[in-house]
Amino acid sequence: MEQRTPTLRNVAWLWFGISIAVLAFGFRQAIFLVPTDAAQGNVGRIFYYHVPIAMLSLIFPYINFVASLFYLYWRRREPLKALTADALALATAEVTVVYSSICLLTGMLWARAVWGIWWTWDPRLTSMLLLWLLYVSYLMLRQFSSAGQTHTLAAVLSVFAAVDVPIVYMSIRWWRTQHPAPVFGGGPDSGVDPSMLPAFYWNLAGWTVWGICIVVFRFALERRRQFAEQEAALQAIEASLEIPQ
Amino acid sequence: MANVTQKSPIKFIVAAVIIVATIAYLSFTGGRDNKSYYVTIGELQGMGNKAYTRHLRVAGNVAPGSIHRVGTNATFDLLEQGRKLSVVYQGSEPPPDTFKDDAQALAVGTYSRDGVFHATQLQAKCASKYAPAPASATPATTAAATLPATK
Repeated sequence: MEQRTPTLRNVAWLWFGISIAVLAFGFRQAIFLVPTDAAQGNVGRIFYYHVPIAMLSLIFPYINFVASLFYLYWRRREPLKALTADALALATAEVTVVYSSICLLTGMLWARAVWGIWWTWDPRLTSMLLLWLLYVSYLMLRQFSSAGQTHTLAAVLSVFAAVDVPIVYMSIRWWRTQHPAPVFGGGPDSGVDPSMLPAFYWNLAGWTVWGICIVVFRFALERRRQFAEQEAALQAIEASLEIPQ
Repeated sequence: MANVTQKSPIKFIVAAVIIVATIAYLSFTGGRDNKSYYVTIGELQGMGNKAYTRHLRVAGNVAPGSIHRVGTNATFDLLEQGRKLSVVYQGSEPPPDTFKDDAQALAVGTYSRDGVFHATQLQAKCASKYAPAPASATPATTAAATLPATK
């Protein structure tokens, strides 16, 4: 059984503090310091939020996917390890939903300003909405399924949901879209001016450490819930054994 | 598996592989010939009679100086690799601010036999390039990426 030591608690608070500090610094960079984009004006500054968050909302699903595979592998062989993997899968799925929601919302605000529309059914937007729906349904399944197989069903759903992640990533490379082509590693007319990169990297770093922070926090919370459940189950068994004596 | 009577995971794995392979195949083949989101001007002009009967989205760069705004309506020309398309936009909303000379734009509407495209909706399309305005006041027109016509 894991016990939170004071050191661990201090590291967690330090990590939290660093996340806030990096995000604040990134905010100052993005909003006040880096030059305004020539084509889009100040509206273009949402780039420093939308893109890092979108990138992370494609990374957390992979952690969820790997954790789900470990769950499926361990669930009969080593049930206790399987529960750890399950807790990580749950934590990353929740953070995926948070990040992809922010990605969709910032994208819609941005689209309204620069494309003139809130939404369009192009491959990138559609596949991203599908990703959001898949992970929302993953959480709903975990929440409302009453069967004893909930964890297994959720892990299987996670494996299928992960198929959508590379499709979202490749959609702007494979198909014609309303969404711009890749900014990083794209064609000759793409890229970010070096003077604008600090804001991008600080925000990418900030949202990454913040994301890890909430994943770890949520993971620890789920582990505690699991231990409490095991404790309760153990007590119930002990109590049932005491009656006949 | 420890328990022999238990259902073998092989079936499940095979089913999963089939589903994943199908999705991958559809994505891959779709990637080569999917032109559904928009057509280029060249493709529009090469469509023959189909071009006049379908609701289409056409992409191009706005010809500099061709925009004439009347209220929320506008007329302008779209250019793509030397081809020109006259567009009459009649919509309830004014075009977005990013709709200007040399910008990439998508016109949504129908193509009429007089060669004019009647748009009911305009969507700007942004380049994937971010750069500050140069000090030497050249408008950022060159930043508008050329359309991926070969896709």
